[in-house]
Amino acid sequence: MQTNLEKSQTKKYLLFSIVGTGFIMLLANLAGQEATTMITNLLYVPVPGALAVLSIIIAVRFTVQGEHGKAWFLFVGLAASWFIAEQIWLVYDLVYQTDPFPSVADIFYLAGYPFLFMFSIYYLKPLKDAISKKIIAYSTLAAIALLIPSLYMAYDSNSEISAFELALALSYPVADAIVLIPALIGVILFFRGEVNFLWSLMCVAILLDVVADTGFLITSMDDSYYTGHPIDILYLWSYILFSFGVYSHIQIFKKHRPKIKSQNLDDLR
Amino acid sequence: MYDATNGEISKALVTLAIEKTLLTMGKPVLDEVAHRLFANYKCFIPDCHEHPEYLKSVLKELYGNCYNNIVKSIKKNLEEFATKKSIEHFLTVISE
Repeated sequence: MQTNLEKSQTKKYLLFSIVGTGFIMLLANLAGQEATTMITNLLYVPVPGALAVLSIIIAVRFTVQGEHGKAWFLFVGLAASWFIAEQIWLVYDLVYQTDPFPSVADIFYLAGYPFLFMFSIYYLKPLKDAISKKIIAYSTLAAIALLIPSLYMAYDSNSEISAFELALALSYPVADAIVLIPALIGVILFFRGEVNFLWSLMCVAILLDVVADTGFLITSMDDSYYTGHPIDILYLWSYILFSFGVYSHIQIFKKHRPKIKSQNLDDLR
Repeated sequence: MYDATNGEISKALVTLAIEKTLLTMGKPVLDEVAHRLFANYKCFIPDCHEHPEYLKSVLKELYGNCYNNIVKSIKKNLEEFATKKSIEHFLTVISE
């Protein structure tokens, strides 16, 4: 069982990770673009790596059985594809020193979205009674409101990019708009007091990722993006929030040792 | 041969309904609910037949205000036995 103390400790560690990552990125940016690129790329190994490991742990705990089990199995798909994508990006950026966009990494980034969408559906399923049509309508409108300017920006950009690159760049805001709907629903439920903070972390993480993608799109279109750009903080924070969201579930659904159970049974006798 | 009483049958039906609902969500959910019931109230899932408020409180602890959906599913599993007095009591308390 996750006690109040464990909950507050989890929140402390979360805050520490968020502030720590922001501080590292800030220092890296002060040290120059080359150092920033190196440090940020290296941060993308342990941060998404931790998420992949934690998601495997929770998926193994739930197996594929049950609604939660299916949700976590889908989440492993997301964590694995984005982890692979980040490592491919790192290799292109640090080893080959070429522009990682567009590259094979995009296949893995985009492959994560269907997993993320299906996961969020299963994740919100136990809360379906609290989700009214009004909440769905507001979330959909907000997603469309974000999609239209993003599409316009990408399409209207003066960058000399090929049709394939443009299609690839456009596919991100579309995928983001789709995953934004369940994420906003989760955040609205949190503000209405229907779910606790740790439960809503997964949805906040999706929200941050969508904001980061929009920022990435804007900075890529005016060629101002580089690995380590302040917008990367949002991606890293998104991974951290996802990780803490998964971790809190691992804490809640701890494996209870049969030894403890039999001990308790003995107490009853 | 041992003949089960009405009370025992109701208890078994309620236990099955709770376990079926929680298993639909996942085995760790059932384990966690059972663990919290014991840790907080020194009771087991079958005891929820007499103390539905314990189950309600544990579900609320786990799922916040959204525990209603789980209660709804338990109710659905017990739908055809809802006329039995003890099951009716269980359903009334858990739905309050």
